[in-house]
Amino acid sequence: MAFNGVNISVEAPIENQIQEITYDGVEIYQPPLTLSESLAKYAQKIDFSKTEADLKCEDTLDDSKSDSDSKEAFQSSLWPWDNVRNKLRNAFQEICVLADVLAVAKDKKYMVLDPVPQEPLETKTMVQIFARKKALAGAADVLLAGVEKLKTSQNEAARNRTTPDFHIELLRLRQNWRLKKVSNTIIGDLSYRTAGSKYLQTGTFEVTKAEEDEKSSSPPSSPGGVPPIKPSSALKVSIPSELQGVAYIEVLCQKDQEDLCSANINLLGSGAPSSNPDMHWQQKLEAAQNVLFCKELFNQLAKEAVELQAPIPHMVVGNQIMATVLPGIQLIIALRHSTTADKKLEKPAPSKSEHDHVLEHSLHQLLREVHHKNTHHPFPHPATGPLGPSKKRMMAGPMAADRYELLEMTKQEKLLEQIVKQAQHFIMRMRTEYVLDTIAKEFKDPLISSHWNTLNSPTQSCVKINISTHGYDAVCRTPLVIHVGEKSLKCICRDGKVMNMSYEPQELRDLIFCHINQHQILAIQALAKTMGWQSLGNSNHLGSGPVEPLGNAASCLLVSPTGDRIIAVRCEPQASGLQVSVAHSPRTDFFPSRLVTERKWEHLGGQFRDVRLDKMEGKNFLHKMELLMASLTSNS
Amino acid sequence: MSTRALPQSKEALLKSYRTRLKDDVKSMLENFEEIIKLAKGEHDTQLSRLTQCEQDTYEMHVRSANIVRAGESLMKLVSDIKQYLILNDFPSVNEAITQNSKLFRTKQAECDQKLMSLRDDMAADLYDLEEEYYSSINKM
Repeated sequence: MAFNGVNISVEAPIENQIQEITYDGVEIYQPPLTLSESLAKYAQKIDFSKTEADLKCEDTLDDSKSDSDSKEAFQSSLWPWDNVRNKLRNAFQEICVLADVLAVAKDKKYMVLDPVPQEPLETKTMVQIFARKKALAGAADVLLAGVEKLKTSQNEAARNRTTPDFHIELLRLRQNWRLKKVSNTIIGDLSYRTAGSKYLQTGTFEVTKAEEDEKSSSPPSSPGGVPPIKPSSALKVSIPSELQGVAYIEVLCQKDQEDLCSANINLLGSGAPSSNPDMHWQQKLEAAQNVLFCKELFNQLAKEAVELQAPIPHMVVGNQIMATVLPGIQLIIALRHSTTADKKLEKPAPSKSEHDHVLEHSLHQLLREVHHKNTHHPFPHPATGPLGPSKKRMMAGPMAADRYELLEMTKQEKLLEQIVKQAQHFIMRMRTEYVLDTIAKEFKDPLISSHWNTLNSPTQSCVKINISTHGYDAVCRTPLVIHVGEKSLKCICRDGKVMNMSYEPQELRDLIFCHINQHQILAIQALAKTMGWQSLGNSNHLGSGPVEPLGNAASCLLVSPTGDRIIAVRCEPQASGLQVSVAHSPRTDFFPSRLVTERKWEHLGGQFRDVRLDKMEGKNFLHKMELLMASLTSNS
Repeated sequence: MSTRALPQSKEALLKSYRTRLKDDVKSMLENFEEIIKLAKGEHDTQLSRLTQCEQDTYEMHVRSANIVRAGESLMKLVSDIKQYLILNDFPSVNEAITQNSKLFRTKQAECDQKLMSLRDDMAADLYDLEEEYYSSINKM
C-alpha cells in the first residue's frame, strides 16, 4: 500500500449511498456509518480460515527458539502475542476433542472405556463354571420362592374351606344382586329400579375383597375373648352412609293426643343388630334396601300429602306426615331411620302400643303395587304404541272419549288416599266392634252375638249380628248385617231394609237398641203362637204414652186361648223399658154395680194390672212371659 | 355366547385377556430360554470374565424373577377371568333368578295355603267362640 514517492491519499467518496429516489427527484441518502458500524463492517470482511492457514506458516517462521530453519524472516510478526495465542488455541482444540470423546464414552453406546489389560488374565474354567452354577442356583431360588408363595396361597385357600373363596361369594352375590364392573371396582345396585321404582336416589354399593389384615389382627384379641365362631366372609360390601342403619315406617292413629293405635313396621322384624360392622353382606344389603324402600315410600307419601287437596290439609313436618282420618283422629306416618347409636334409645317408645302391623304392611303393599304397575302393562299393547296407558285409555280414541272422561281416567288413587281410607276403615271397624261389645255386655236379656266375616278387604268388612233370647233361639231371632266401609256403615235389617249410617258410633248404638225392642215384641208374639195365644195386634211405633227420647215404643196385645186373659206388652227403646200388663176380661167374681149391671159387659175387657217382672221367676223376659202365659192359661 | 355379537368393549377386554395370557406364557418361555443360554456361556465380549459372570448372575436373577412375575400374573388373569365370567355370565344369572323366583313362588304358595287353612280354622273356631262368648253370662 505504501509506495515510495508520491503519497496518494485514498479516501472514500464523500457522498453517501443513495437509498431511495422519490418520484419528485429528491434523493434520500443512507445515513453515514458510525464508527462501531464501520468496524463491524470491516470485521465481516476478514476471512478467518484463511488467515489461520496463513498464520500457520507464519508461526513457524516466527518461533525463533524452537524452529531452526527459519528462512523467511522478512515478515516479522505484526503482533507480539501471536505465539502465545497460538499455543492457547491448540490447547483449546485438544480439550474440545477430549470433551467430545468423554461425552461419547458416557453414552456407552458407541464406545466403552476399559482399562487396558496389561496381559490377558486367564481365569480358570472351573471358576467360571462355579460362578455359573451359583448364578443358576440363585435363579432357581428365586423361582422356588415364587412357587412356594403360590403354593402356600393355594393351600391357604384350600385349608380354610370354611371361609368360601372370594369368587364363590361373588357368584352368590351375583345371583342375588345386580353387579357390574366399572373400571377396577365392582359396583352393585340395590335399588328397586328394575322392579319398577322411579325413585331417584341410587342404591349403589361397592364390592371389595375383604382385607387379610382384619383376620391377622383378630387372633391376638381372641385368646382373651371369645374366638370368632364364624370367620368373616371373603367379601366386603360398602354401603353409602345414607343407607346404613335400620329404617322403618311408623304409623300411628292418634286421637287428639292419645294414641288409638300405633304400629311400627320393620321389615327386619326384631331389628337386626345394625351396630355389628361385620354383618353378613346379605343382611347388610337387605337392611340397606329396606332403608331405601322406606325412604322412597315416605318420599312418595310426603309428595302426595303436599299435592293433595284435602278438606283438612295434610301436614308434613320433618320426618312426619299428619293426615286427618276422621274428625279428631289423625293418622301419623313417620319415617324412623336409626343408625347404630339411637336405636336403643328409641326402642322402648314404640312398645307401649300393642298393635298388628297391618297398616304398615298395607303401605308397603301399596308401593309394591305401584312398582308392579310400572313394569307390568296391561295387555294387549300394540307393538307400535306407547307403553303405559291403560286399556281404557287406548280405547278412548276409538270410543271418542271427551275431555271429562279422559280427565277421569288420569285420576289415580294416591297412596296416601288409599292408606287414609284403610285407616278410616280400621277406625270404623274398631268403633263398631266396641259398640257391639258394649251393647252385648249391657244387655243380658236378648243375647246379642256378632260374627265377623272372615272374608274382607282392607276397606270393607262385614259383621253379622244375631239378636236372640237364650233358650228361645228357635222361636225368634233377629239377624242384622252391618257392612263397615270407610266412612259409613250400612245395615241390612231383618226385613231387608237398608240403613245407612255415618261414622258416629251413637247411630249404630241407637239402631241396635231399636232392633232389640223389635225383637222382644216379635219374640213374644212368636212365643204366644206356640202357646196357643192369639195376637190381637201389635205396633212397632206406638203413638201413645210418654214421648221417647229415641224412636218409638212398640207394643202388642195377646189374648189367651179362651179369650178371658189379655196381656199387653209395651217396650220402650230406653234401656230395658219393658212393661207387661194383664187383664182378666170376665172377672171370676162379679158384683153388679150401677154402671155395669150385667155380667156380659165384663167381656169387654177389664182393667190392666201391671206385672212386676223383676219379681217373677224365669231366666229372661221370654221365659217369664212363657210362665205368665202358662199360669194364665191353666188358671182358666 | 360366542354366537352373539359382543359389544366392542367386551370384545376388546376378551382380546386383552387373550394377549395377557399369551404374553405371560411367552415371557416365561423366553426368560427360561435366556437363562439356559446364559448358562451355556458361549459369548465373547470384551468384558472381563469376572464382570461377565456378575452380569450373567444378575441377569439370571432378573429373568427368574420375571418368570415368577409372569406366573403370578397368570394367577391374576385367572382371577380376572373368573370375575368377568361371574359378572357377565347372564345365562347362569338368569337361571339363578328363575330358580330363585320359582323357589319363592312355591314358598309363597305354600305360605298362602297355610295361611288360608289357618284362616279357615280360625274362622271356624272364632265363630264357635263368639257364639259361646255372646251366649255366656260372663261377658267382660
